[in-house]
Amino acid sequence: MTLLLVGLGFCLLGVLTSALPRTYRVPVTASCAALGCALAFCAAMRVLVTGDTVSFHTTLILPLNGFAMTLDPLGALFIVATALVGFASCVYCIGYVRGELQSRSAMGLFVAFILSLLAVPAASSIATLMLFWELMAVSSMLLIVVEHRHRREARDAALWYGVMTQLGAASILLGLLLLTLRGGGQTFTEIKSHADALSPIVRSSAFMLVLLGFASKAGAVPLHVWLPKAHPEAPSPVSAMMSSSMVAMGVYGIIRVGDDLLHGGTVWWWIAVVALGTLSALYGALHATTSTDIKRLLAYSTIDILGLVLIGVGAAGALRDTGHPAVAQLALMAALLLVVAHAGFKGALFLGAGAVERATGTRDLDQLGGLIHRMPVTTTIFALSACSIMAVPTLSGFSSEWLLLQGLLHGFTDASTPTLIALLVGIVALALTGGLTAVAFVKALGIGFLGQARTLGAVNATEVAPTMQIAMALLGAVSIVLGLVPGLVVPLINRAAQSGLSRSTMSPLARGTGLVLAQLRGAIQPAFLFVGAAAVLVAVWLINRRLVHRSARRVDAWGCGRDVQTARMQYTATSFGEPLQRVFADVLRPQSDVELTHVAESRYYEQSLKYQNQVSDAVEQFGYRPVIDAVLRGGKAARRIQNGSIHRYLAFGFVALLVVLVVLA
Amino acid sequence: MRGSRRSGKNGPLRSLFSRPVTGPSPEPPEPPDALNKARLHGSLQLRHIDVGSCNGCELEIASALGPKYDAPQFGVRLVASPRHADGLLVTGVVTHNMIGPLHQTLAALPQPSVIVACGDCAVNGGIFKDAYGVAGTLDEVVSPDVLIPGCPPHPAAIVQALRSLTGR
Repeated sequence: MTLLLVGLGFCLLGVLTSALPRTYRVPVTASCAALGCALAFCAAMRVLVTGDTVSFHTTLILPLNGFAMTLDPLGALFIVATALVGFASCVYCIGYVRGELQSRSAMGLFVAFILSLLAVPAASSIATLMLFWELMAVSSMLLIVVEHRHRREARDAALWYGVMTQLGAASILLGLLLLTLRGGGQTFTEIKSHADALSPIVRSSAFMLVLLGFASKAGAVPLHVWLPKAHPEAPSPVSAMMSSSMVAMGVYGIIRVGDDLLHGGTVWWWIAVVALGTLSALYGALHATTSTDIKRLLAYSTIDILGLVLIGVGAAGALRDTGHPAVAQLALMAALLLVVAHAGFKGALFLGAGAVERATGTRDLDQLGGLIHRMPVTTTIFALSACSIMAVPTLSGFSSEWLLLQGLLHGFTDASTPTLIALLVGIVALALTGGLTAVAFVKALGIGFLGQARTLGAVNATEVAPTMQIAMALLGAVSIVLGLVPGLVVPLINRAAQSGLSRSTMSPLARGTGLVLAQLRGAIQPAFLFVGAAAVLVAVWLINRRLVHRSARRVDAWGCGRDVQTARMQYTATSFGEPLQRVFADVLRPQSDVELTHVAESRYYEQSLKYQNQVSDAVEQFGYRPVIDAVLRGGKAARRIQNGSIHRYLAFGFVALLVVLVVLA
Repeated sequence: MRGSRRSGKNGPLRSLFSRPVTGPSPEPPEPPDALNKARLHGSLQLRHIDVGSCNGCELEIASALGPKYDAPQFGVRLVASPRHADGLLVTGVVTHNMIGPLHQTLAALPQPSVIVACGDCAVNGGIFKDAYGVAGTLDEVVSPDVLIPGCPPHPAAIVQALRSLTGR
């Protein structure tokens, strides 16, 4: 615990050092925060390895209720994931920071954001949790508007995010307060001991309120609309933190309240979680296939992966009271492993996208291309992480999704009918999103990094600063470790799952480097797979070199005999996503517009032709717009009463006083 | 049984019970000496390129590939890209505008390949040989393996020449 507190202390020191003069500010602040992350990582790892729970309580900081922190394996796992990405983001910052993020307030906020993310999973009372939760929300909201001078969209994004996150926080607070009705104490231990005494209606409504808040933080559809706006607008290290750690806090909250504090509750809670997860996974993956902005694509894929995590969490909750607690534990382990894996690959992808934006000045895939020749390191790490998110075997995405699939499949044995349907839907969603994610990332990689440069920005790109490369490589290594030898981290994940389910059954996985289910059928050894695949690849390469390569003849690409071929004739991201956009037009609701102007003399010849195609978020368009419009109309109507005259307002006050007096008398 | 007999010679079920009306095709002609017939295995995928034809040869090629002369039954097919082709079917005399694309197409053709010159223009320049837009004859760019003379050549002659390549 001391280690974690010292780590948080270093982060706090980082907030203070952001006031240093410009030359020292970034390196000193980032180093402080990185050190803080490293210490928090060590503290959390120690808890995961030993399985002990440590706590800390003081009344000095929050005078009325006290300041309570407990580090148990569940929270520790989320701290580990956060600390990894936080460390990498801080290292990345040293090379990345220029312009607005360099300012005193932005650096301070960035470190405060990391601090809050490290502290949320350790908070163990309502007041402490909400303190850090709000610090996280406010600091990240302000970080989104850091670049508002260049990009007007950032203001809009921050407004959306601010409103959604505050409504979510209110919902969480209300739900948690409901839990204190009986017993009255506000620390998690007290809530836990009195939870069973609460009436089912109170328990259910509390969980639903909390779920609403945490699911909106986790970007679950239909509460996701802030996410694809906010993540792209934030500076890239912040996007990486938001996408790989902050959204995971939503998942943490659901596990903490549902599984830990309320001991699982009823099955339909968890079926609701699976439904939310399925919806998010499909919707996010679909939108990722049609996005052409690289960071927007990554944001939608975050919704997709978090949807899969929610499916795992929901399956674990639904199965925990059936005859197979080991299967529930397996599903939760898969979800937690996916959280850590997602922190690794999505962090690397966002940092890579930031490197591309820094080098080329654009995030539009249709204006990139050919970066593999100019930014080989960034491209390699981006490709590795993209392969991981596409669940290519021997990388982390595969091992976690394989485990999730096993959890869902083995839950069939004696599940009730609603649970069975939820599991089936989850499996289908997992399969379909796997394919759609592959489309999205083949597009990101193929259009953005391969081929020829489409614009001058892409032509003039150069490799980014070494610190940025190191940061990306660090997160890329997470994908490799979790993918090649998942068996090594499984005991740690198992501890977290045990503490989440507040059970101590045996690990459902056998010891070893691979993933071998102990009591059930199913095993995979990614390390052996890798050795085999590598041997085949080397053999093919050698044969190709010996036999084929010598006689190969290099000619230009075939362009139907056209004399001039430009980079603009390449496949674009828009055209790559177009077939899917057509197939799923009912869900995506693309808006396309053709504007044709004829020459004055004849209708047979056109003067100009303008084509526009846009895929906006259908949920926002049809779900949120009407509500916002109604609120604005209500506001306008209310303005008729408020005409600005102080006499009228005094009259209102007087009338109100009279009414109160009459009512009381 | 009775029903089928009553439908008679021109009834709707005729095709089920009678043989096709086409007779056996004549023996294929001998392949040109330079070509190894065995390599094509009875199938020839051709990319057609018009380097400056009057479109007469194109009409005859269309006819040769059509139902009457039916070159596809002897294994000949036109394909959309030289990357998919065994050879090139060239019509017309080489014009200035098409000499570049001709070079590109030849480069894009997998080796070994066959070059078929169809029509007098492709064989020796024909009547447009000395016209102002003409860059030269085909054999100045690439030497054809099979020549199909005629202005335009008869579809039967085209089929005959292509059969010498497919060996069917």
